[in-house]
Amino acid sequence: MIGVPRSVLWFLGSCLVLVAGLGLWQVLADSGAIPRAFFPGPDRVWTALHRGFSSGAMIGETLTTVRRMALGWALASVIGVGLGALVGLSPWMRTYVAPTFEGLRPIPASALAPLAVLAFGLSDGMILALIAFGAVWPMLLTTVHGVASVHPRKAEVARLLGLSRLAYAWKIALPAATPDILGGLRLGLTVALILAVVGEMITVQGGLGARIMIAARRFNAADIFAGVALLGAIGLLTNAALSQIEARLLRWTHR
Amino acid sequence: MTTVQAARGPETPIMAIAGASVSFGAARVLDGIDLELRRGEFVCVVGPSGSGKTTLLRLLSGLQPATTGTVFHQGTVQNGPARGVAIVFQDYAHALLPWRTAAGNVSLALEAAGLPRAQRADRIAALLATVGLAAHADHFPAQMSGGMQQRLQIARCLAQDPDVLLMDEPFGALDAMTRQKLQDEILRIVAASGVTAFFVTHDLEEAIYLGDRVVALEPNPGRVGAIFDVPLPRPRTQLSTREHPEFLRLRRDLFDFIQQFEP
Ligand SMILES: Nc1ncnc2c1ncn2[C@@H]1O[C@H](COP(=O)(O)OP(=O)(O)OP(=O)(O)O)[C@@H](O)[C@H]1O
Ligand SMILES: [Mg+2]
Repeated sequence: MIGVPRSVLWFLGSCLVLVAGLGLWQVLADSGAIPRAFFPGPDRVWTALHRGFSSGAMIGETLTTVRRMALGWALASVIGVGLGALVGLSPWMRTYVAPTFEGLRPIPASALAPLAVLAFGLSDGMILALIAFGAVWPMLLTTVHGVASVHPRKAEVARLLGLSRLAYAWKIALPAATPDILGGLRLGLTVALILAVVGEMITVQGGLGARIMIAARRFNAADIFAGVALLGAIGLLTNAALSQIEARLLRWTHR
Repeated sequence: MTTVQAARGPETPIMAIAGASVSFGAARVLDGIDLELRRGEFVCVVGPSGSGKTTLLRLLSGLQPATTGTVFHQGTVQNGPARGVAIVFQDYAHALLPWRTAAGNVSLALEAAGLPRAQRADRIAALLATVGLAAHADHFPAQMSGGMQQRLQIARCLAQDPDVLLMDEPFGALDAMTRQKLQDEILRIVAASGVTAFFVTHDLEEAIYLGDRVVALEPNPGRVGAIFDVPLPRPRTQLSTREHPEFLRLRRDLFDFIQQFEP
């Protein structure tokens, strides 16, 4: 195997596993061991996807879900990183406010969905609020931790140079916390996708979540699987995009 | 404000510690310290581990307040860190910003001083050239050797345009060859900039090689045990200075002094 980079081998290997998995799925579906009504094979899912995309409906729904996910995630990021920096940089807030976060964090966001419906109606606003509430915690907690655990030497350097508190936050604490913060943003991304779908299933105002919901009412298993496959693809792609950004932002950590 | 040094002529010590002590809780770490730094001199500090060398340096920097007594900088009472007093820390890896390039790290000091962006580039280039890092302006600290990172920290300190440069075992983590090279560089930089140097070290020979005076601390609590004048000619060179009879005599005296406190 001389001359073939390891990464190429990894890639080929994972492709092989994927193909084998699809094959197994097809065989299982064709065997009829599980009723076809619940368990379509990849061929029928592919047909459903093809039909959905050629009619144009699925593209719009995918974009709707991605847009909601991205907006909710961005909202959570701004709140999480902003508030996290504020709390993490103030010893007073760290003592009195941070424990409240720990108390609120375990609340499942989906449990608050009815409350969000009451406040915002069956609307985009409700979905955004739901995502923001659920996705904000990992970002908030990693930011608090990140800016609070800057090495004390760096704080001394800032004091010696006479940096203002704002300059310290912007030039030292936040950059130092970037690896932590990016970890929180990544966790939040997964939560955002989940809650976008949950919200769409509740509001049924377009999007892949609504599409899956409607397909289920029509007992159209192939369409459900098609929607789920698309959600998987969204998760995969957005994660890959964030990894790219991360690699660029964390260039300095590589030796 | 009590001003012991009324006059501020060239005779005024650039820094002075008067009757200062430092305690952490009940533990008295420094006691009855009286010390003056004259303008432009190179003062080295030695002493057994735990004798308070770092605490003394932090006292001068303003990072560590005196429990009793007073610290003066330029004839006035010093109440906290001032831009005129810079520190080169031993742990350069923590003192530098790893997400900024060499140029960016020097820039931090200029940004803090409010220097307009347009004027920064030239200053940065000049400072990096002073410490021999002109070719590494775009490198991140992680891409640089320990010696280079320490040079970078020195450049950032110089960017503060300090009149006092405090150094806490700055070369302690470096190998012997790099150490000697940096000793000569710091002598050249200090001479060229006219800054007053205060240099803590474990290495008695390093203290003699660099210093105009060597302050030896006694432990428990930390006190100034003795001050040795170093009448060796400058410029100093690694081979001949270290073979100078005066160098050998001082090494003997300092060694005997420190030896009393070793268990
Ligand atoms: N922040 C602190 N709180 C409590 N004790 C401290 C603190 N800083 C230093 N000490 C104590 O003060 C004494 C002197 O410490 P210092 O670091 O100044 O010694 P040093 O001479 O620099 O030692 P070394 O040669 O090991 O660097 C030590 O006993 C140390 O434990
Ligand atoms: Mg020390």
